[in-house]
Amino acid sequence: MDRRQFFKFSWGAVGVTALVSAVGVSLAAVIRFLTPSVFYEPPQSFKIGNPGDFPFGPPTFMVEEKIFVFRERDKGFAVASAVCTHLGCTVAHFSSDQKFHCPCHGSVFGADGAVQHGPAPRALDWFEVTQARDGQLRVDKDKVVAPNYRLMV
Amino acid sequence: MNPIREIWQSIVRRDPLSTDKGKSELVFLNVWLHIHPAKVKRENLKFRHSFYLGFITFFLFLILITTGIALMCYYRPYPPQAYQDMKDLQFVVFMGPFLRAMHRWAAHGMVVCVFLHMCRVFYTGSYKKPRQFNWVIGVLLLLLTLGLSFTGYLLPWDQLAYWAITVGTNIGSYAPLVGGQLRELLLGGHSVGEAALLRFYVLHVAVLPSLLILLTIVHFWRVRKDGGLSRPVWKLKAEKDAQLVTIGAPTETAPLQASAASSNKTYGLMEVVTGKPIFETVTPEEEEDTVFSYPYAFVREAVTLMATVTTIMLISLFFSAPLEELANPARTPNPAKAPWYFLGLQELVSHSALLGGVVAPGLMVLALIAIPYLDRNPSRRPGERKWILWLFTFFVVANLALIVVGTFFRGPGWALVPPWVHVVGGTE
Repeated sequence: MDRRQFFKFSWGAVGVTALVSAVGVSLAAVIRFLTPSVFYEPPQSFKIGNPGDFPFGPPTFMVEEKIFVFRERDKGFAVASAVCTHLGCTVAHFSSDQKFHCPCHGSVFGADGAVQHGPAPRALDWFEVTQARDGQLRVDKDKVVAPNYRLMV
Repeated sequence: MNPIREIWQSIVRRDPLSTDKGKSELVFLNVWLHIHPAKVKRENLKFRHSFYLGFITFFLFLILITTGIALMCYYRPYPPQAYQDMKDLQFVVFMGPFLRAMHRWAAHGMVVCVFLHMCRVFYTGSYKKPRQFNWVIGVLLLLLTLGLSFTGYLLPWDQLAYWAITVGTNIGSYAPLVGGQLRELLLGGHSVGEAALLRFYVLHVAVLPSLLILLTIVHFWRVRKDGGLSRPVWKLKAEKDAQLVTIGAPTETAPLQASAASSNKTYGLMEVVTGKPIFETVTPEEEEDTVFSYPYAFVREAVTLMATVTTIMLISLFFSAPLEELANPARTPNPAKAPWYFLGLQELVSHSALLGGVVAPGLMVLALIAIPYLDRNPSRRPGERKWILWLFTFFVVANLALIVVGTFFRGPGWALVPPWVHVVGGTE
């Protein structure tokens, strides 16, 4: 490679590098722009009410939060997600068989949330439930717990 | 000179259409018409060669743009108002239901016609050299059509829209590595909400139509530059290679032929270059068999346009576009079904989200794109490409079967229920 060729090649390399980085940075900026900095959505951690508000027996379905609140005598509270792990449809809890049924693709989850039938890839989530200082129950959807997790009040 | 005539001739500068020169100039002096050749092969105009499916698709797209812009005047992409506006369009706006129905049925028609057009091109082997790349553009146009249908589906913000998009975007999240992020980017959040509606609206009215128009221009341009419509299979010649004419440098195999020049013919020579043309050329015998685009091609196009618009209008007079109740994130309808052209996908997804929702459709698209490059058989005769015709037929039938099963044979809980069995209380 002579001097002339070397400079030709170098300038070419500089040009290509500049172009590639410009496109790369622009693309990254566009993706970052399209990713919201603030989500105007309900918080992942929220209070659901006083322990006394929840009956024993069949779970309480909370529409907005898409959760089932279970309260069992001598065992305490547990909160299950109502969002099917397959494609996000809202499951229903049947008291007849104590199972969760998804209307979209027929997935069935057992009483502990484990998949018993259908295309769902994993069990329903159970969320951490704690008692806040004011006595209310607090659910944190960011904290997934084992199905046997219970809060005694 | 008559001033009116002078004004007319300043606008339309061609010779009278009674002359051959006028007929040619009508095409190549007009920016809108010059995508056509001045003359076309007579055989290519035959309805039974192409069924005019590409034109019908394009005309349906024109209907969609027109009615879509009209609908935009009464639509706000914001959750409670969006549904309110649909009700307004349905009950208050003059001709609202008619325009909405036209938009909906033209959209369905476009999905059908794009698919049929693809089948026609496949069965006539028209994706083969030199038209391989235009087939790829065509597959991209099919995907854009489906994308437009999908984004349009959310806009009414009714139950069907809400749950179809919830299911649809969750399918996307199964894509490896980028899936979850992709979904978040598409929805502008973690669930289908107001941010998602706005983004789908932007995609539906700006991004995807622009891409579709750009690629349509490329598609049409390539049809011309690849040598026009492929010859009908029944007109195929024995040896095709011998027809290649070398421009500028006569060879032994293809001597340059010049027609006798005469005083009443006009020739324009743009450039003399050497090398073989990459497009399909017209032989002198075939030249005899061509007709002027005006009126033969244009009349057929105009009739196709009118027939397409009339059909969509008639359908829209008798069938209105469905609108379900307001989207309710708390209550999933049972069964929750996607639009019919995605029910095959939903059927696959009901068996496995990753395999059925990402791997199978991904491979299908890749296979479609790769067809012209994998199929090395140069022949376009059906008799000489039997197994690939069977393969493609299997692909078509399998897709249709999945759609039929998803549409008619799936009941509450996605259980297998034949259409003649009525399920009582199957909506909750």
